[in-house]
Amino acid sequence: MMGDIWMTLLGVLVTTLLAFVTGMFYMGASRKITARVQNRVGPPIYQNFLDLIKLQAKDTAIHHGWMQLLGPAFLMVSAVGSLMFIPVLNKGLFFENFTADGDIIFLLYLMVFGSLGMALGAGQTGNPNSAIGVTRGLTQMVGFEIPWVMAIVALILQYHTTNIAEILEAQHRSGVWSMFANPYAFIAALLAAFGMFRYSPFDIVGAPAELASGPVSENGGKFLGTMMSSHAVFAFVKLVLYVDLFMGGADNLVELVIKTFGLYLIPLTYGMVNPRYRTEQAVRYFYGWPTLFGIIAILYAVFY
Amino acid sequence: MVISPIHYVAIPLLVAFLIPLVAKIGKNWARILPGLTLAYLNFVSVYLMTKVQETGIISESVGGWDAPVGINLVFSPLSGLLVSLITGIGFLVWLYSYQFKNVEKNESQKYFTLLLMLITGANGVILTGDIFNMFVFMEITAISAYALTAFYRHRNGAEAAFKYLLIGSLASTFMLLAIMLLYAQVGTLNMADIASKMDQVSSGMKVTIFILFLTGFGIEAEMFPLNGWAPDAYTEAPGPIGAVFASAVVKAGVYAMARVVFTLFGYGDSPVEILIIMGVITMAIAEFSAFRQEKLKRMLAYSSIGQMGLVIAAFGLGTKAGVFAALFIMVNHALIKSLLFLSGTYMVYHSKEKLIAELNGMAKELPVTAALFAFGALAIAGFPPFSGFWSKVYFLIAAADQKMVFLIIMVLLVTTVEVLYYFKVINRMYFHKPEMELEYRRPSTNALISMFVLTAVILWISFFPDTVMGYIDAAANDLVNRAGYINLVLNR
Amino acid sequence: MNSLVIMLLIYFAGAILVYAANKFSAVLRDVIVVLAGLLPVALFFSIPAFEAFQFRIAGFDLFWDLGSLAYIFEALVVVVGAASLVYAISYMKGKKNLGYFYMNFFLSLGSMTGILMSQDLISFFIFWEIMTWSSYFIVVFNGYKTNKIGLTYIFFSALGAYAMLTAIVMINTQTGSTMWNDFFIAFAGMSSHYQLLISILFIFGFGVKAAMMPLHIWAADAYSHSPMAYTATFSGVLSKMGVYGLALVMIKLALVSNHFVFSQVIAWLGAVTAALATIYALIQKDIRKLLAYSSVAQLGYIITGIAVGTAMSFMAGIYLAVLHGLFKAALFMVAGAVEKQAGTTDMHKLRALIRKMPLTFITAMVAIIALAGIPPLGGFVGKWMLYESLIGSNHYFLVIVIFFSSTAAFLYAYRFLYGIFLGQEEEEFAHVKEAPLMMLIPMLFFTVLLIVTGTFPGIILGPVANAMNHGMGFRGVQWEMSVLTNVYGDSIHLSVISTIVVVVFIVFALFLILKGRKGTRYVTTKDIANSGEPVRPEDNYHFALDFYKPFERAMAPLYRFKMSEIYGNISDGLVSFFQFTRRLYSGNGQTYVYYVLLFIVILLVFSNQLINR
Repeated sequence: MMGDIWMTLLGVLVTTLLAFVTGMFYMGASRKITARVQNRVGPPIYQNFLDLIKLQAKDTAIHHGWMQLLGPAFLMVSAVGSLMFIPVLNKGLFFENFTADGDIIFLLYLMVFGSLGMALGAGQTGNPNSAIGVTRGLTQMVGFEIPWVMAIVALILQYHTTNIAEILEAQHRSGVWSMFANPYAFIAALLAAFGMFRYSPFDIVGAPAELASGPVSENGGKFLGTMMSSHAVFAFVKLVLYVDLFMGGADNLVELVIKTFGLYLIPLTYGMVNPRYRTEQAVRYFYGWPTLFGIIAILYAVFY
Repeated sequence: MVISPIHYVAIPLLVAFLIPLVAKIGKNWARILPGLTLAYLNFVSVYLMTKVQETGIISESVGGWDAPVGINLVFSPLSGLLVSLITGIGFLVWLYSYQFKNVEKNESQKYFTLLLMLITGANGVILTGDIFNMFVFMEITAISAYALTAFYRHRNGAEAAFKYLLIGSLASTFMLLAIMLLYAQVGTLNMADIASKMDQVSSGMKVTIFILFLTGFGIEAEMFPLNGWAPDAYTEAPGPIGAVFASAVVKAGVYAMARVVFTLFGYGDSPVEILIIMGVITMAIAEFSAFRQEKLKRMLAYSSIGQMGLVIAAFGLGTKAGVFAALFIMVNHALIKSLLFLSGTYMVYHSKEKLIAELNGMAKELPVTAALFAFGALAIAGFPPFSGFWSKVYFLIAAADQKMVFLIIMVLLVTTVEVLYYFKVINRMYFHKPEMELEYRRPSTNALISMFVLTAVILWISFFPDTVMGYIDAAANDLVNRAGYINLVLNR
Repeated sequence: MNSLVIMLLIYFAGAILVYAANKFSAVLRDVIVVLAGLLPVALFFSIPAFEAFQFRIAGFDLFWDLGSLAYIFEALVVVVGAASLVYAISYMKGKKNLGYFYMNFFLSLGSMTGILMSQDLISFFIFWEIMTWSSYFIVVFNGYKTNKIGLTYIFFSALGAYAMLTAIVMINTQTGSTMWNDFFIAFAGMSSHYQLLISILFIFGFGVKAAMMPLHIWAADAYSHSPMAYTATFSGVLSKMGVYGLALVMIKLALVSNHFVFSQVIAWLGAVTAALATIYALIQKDIRKLLAYSSVAQLGYIITGIAVGTAMSFMAGIYLAVLHGLFKAALFMVAGAVEKQAGTTDMHKLRALIRKMPLTFITAMVAIIALAGIPPLGGFVGKWMLYESLIGSNHYFLVIVIFFSSTAAFLYAYRFLYGIFLGQEEEEFAHVKEAPLMMLIPMLFFTVLLIVTGTFPGIILGPVANAMNHGMGFRGVQWEMSVLTNVYGDSIHLSVISTIVVVVFIVFALFLILKGRKGTRYVTTKDIANSGEPVRPEDNYHFALDFYKPFERAMAPLYRFKMSEIYGNISDGLVSFFQFTRRLYSGNGQTYVYYVLLFIVILLVFSNQLINR
């Protein structure tokens, strides 16, 4: 019994570490690629680790109240928590964690948990920009969640389960990735992902990071560090979720990296060639084609 | 002296003429004597109502000849119920107006004389078994009502009284015409006798007579479009007289109409569409108009008309359940509308215009009166658990039994309007800040007592409806049971 | 004596006693309020089974008994009622007409108890109407725009009640009985147009109280302008009477299985209510209004859950109803505390009360988390069951609409917390203190309750499943203390979720709070740099105006649709029609004579058609 708990803990730690490291490298890669596209040299790919070490080493002299102190912890709960419920690899040794409870609708909610908690923390800084950033972020969320949920509903209807592990299973049984079994759902989800990753043209929250990025000036040192790490983990969570849902998961780490990085490139490259939307434009965008694809996806799942 | 239904008519009439005489002895006697009379009549009510429960309909002939030759008074469960109601409220109105403004001086003589006359007339209409007598008593009622409308001798009162007189005279004409035609056909004036001979009358004539009666009594019963007199009369008459109008004059008219429809013509075996239609129209137009009224008493007047429309529609259902509902509404309306008039009067006592807008914040100044008014408003709008609810439910059930869904919906929609305007008044009394200096008068003790008695009775009916429903049920049976009435009166 | 009657008596006697006591002493009044509020709680939870009670009045059989579904709502009535009453003692301090206020408060609590125990339609209706007018008298208590707000409320309530009354008398005619049970049995045998008419009338009646589109327009104003101590009960519990009625009618009459389209219409109305009320909630500047619209939106979910009518969605609906009672009561209490302590509920003025009212903030945050449906609190359980059941029963687009509104709910949830508690501190609110103890106790009570029910929803689901199996006609409804299972057989363990969330949170919270070598210093939120410019004390950088302007712009077409305008036009039309009927009484004697003559002439001319005998 004790052994189980230690194994579980170990699994959690390893998964989190994996997610963190991968996420950090992806972020570094994105900076590098963006720089190259813009004809710059760019930072080295491990630059984010250096930044993080620097941030953690810094001392924080002031605070604006305990809600601000706790804000990044909410982000971490959301990122690490979601990771616990997502199968990283198909039947992977350390990566099963709590995937038996990996309900997809539960995950949808757990994933906004952090942003909202951080939003409260940001709100206490007293910086008006933070609240503005939050309102933008929330508004955008109302936009992209709709096609995203439509895609998920289509998947649930298609596979008659809400458990992510079982959706994976079902893809394996039928031998067809769901991105081919229901391409419309995949398209809707992918278009929604542009908003979820918040790269341009959807970086309307204020900066290419989470909600927290609005008032960075108020969150220094380990707070910013925690936010950055959670962002890295969270990016990984989203990518793995997409891979699990639409691309049949991954059997080993190499396959996982290939798939997730490939997926990661799509919003990244899309963002490089686009300017930023206004908030309402972004919402309208999501209620256009992505939603239409979502509707088709549901109908396809029902009638096909 | 044996207690008999004749006392209802004879004693108040006698006292009415005695008042000027006793006033010479002592001025106070002019207001004490009517009270004693009415108190005695209430005693008579109690006595006879118990008796009628035991022995059935009491038919009393006047002058020694039996019906159909002689003139008779019929104290049945129905007429007994209404007469008791009228004398009861008459007594409370006397108590209430004992110290009333203009009544204190010589005017009290006139006031109480007319009040007694009016009660005499209304009682007579209800008790008599003779159609011509009914007409005569109706005239007595009407004439005292005209005089009471013009009691405050100013321009508006005179105008209202004149309008009332104008239309009232039309009513008399039609009634008389109908009675003449009827007499020419059947050769008798006794109602039971007429009823038994009604099948001799040709149908065309029957309908014509019916229409004449309908119009004549419809005017007294405030049926649309014959009720033009009512709003003005209610508004201009002294406040407590409004209560008497609502509970005596109108009730007499409605009773006469029901008697004619059910007993004389025997239309009670199936729905009388014309009554239902006119009843609903009356109700709708009255309640809609009430919504837009600016004067309190005028609003109450329209509300009264609306209730009468409901009563007419209920009678029109023709079933026993319908009659039961109609009578129940009449009882409730008499009590509750009296309470509203009595309490409302004090709130606009000194006001010139008697506007509803002047009631703002009145609950602060007159908490008891305002509370009683609010209670009355809740009760008359039919909010449970108050008594108005029971009668409304019985009406709706009666209508549903006849499958008249449209009627139910119409009535309830109109009732919503009623709810709205009563709540508007309550809002003003309780939740609005006064815009000007409030003009009101604190109710005298006797006025308070009479209002409390009314409230107690209403509350009693609300929580123990079974105690009165027995009487109402007997009354409804009485009206529906045409053959029983004929046989009993004619001693067959 | 019968335990149900005692419960009723406590409330109704409490109403009279508290009114009388107010004339003598304020302390006595408060003691009675607390006693008469708490006594039913003790009674209710200590009595294992209630006996039925039957008597006859006015020719109707009245039959009182507490059904298994009613039991759940009654629990809500006694608990939220007692908490609101305790809260009211501090909240209402210093206001006038308190005897009147508490009297109506007790009357509405008593009438709700009465509604729930009524097994016959007549006493159901009687209590329903007592509830209507007693709540009306509190809605207008503050005296603010009584004619507009109060009359709208009473008008819709009266319409709804009368629709119900029509149905009741029709049932009486059809079945010869006024018992709910006889009606449920006889319903299947009625002709189809009677079935439809009676269901529509009932749903209209209950829909008004449950604030269903398009009968909702009274709700936002009535909720927000009552004293907050009452609104906690009003929005939390009283609206649930409509839900209770809907649940009875939708399920017991088998509307879902036999009138599929009908139940779909109701379900969609619920969803549209939720969506529109949500987007209106997030543009409000008054926290009371925001909460009021949010109540309407939440009721929309509940209606949808009940109308869809599968075992799981029904369970979700009732669960959400109970939960909404708890968290919305807590939120309105927060609003009341803020109103009382800071003197305003305007989010354009309020700001940064978190350091002044920390316990209030915790209550607000927990309640908001429950409202937004974020795990691990109870709201998530309800939302999860609702989504899963909607997807499982093939309501794909319904679930999208519901999802839209609950995502948009995050917006007002954030605005509520930010608008009151966060942002820049202002001198104006420097004096604000934490709410008094008597207000905090009920608020914290709800906080604890919400946290417990989040991890162990079985506390609520157990009775709900019991009601569904015994009485509502569902078969074999399962429940577990902290495991949820959907139609596909997938389950989630709430205790696992709670544990993970709490453990991860604590780990990182400790990491962030441990200050290292030197402690951090609290700096006022005025002390920030904004784009390189230091903020002076008089500068205002608080963001409150047009908070969700981008959202408004994006959703502009939805905001153009205003139900109140349609009703406004209708009521204008009616009022001018009333004016016309009034003009019929011209005041001219000659006109009246013409009327009389016209009447008799028409009657005589058409005598054969009019009186055909």
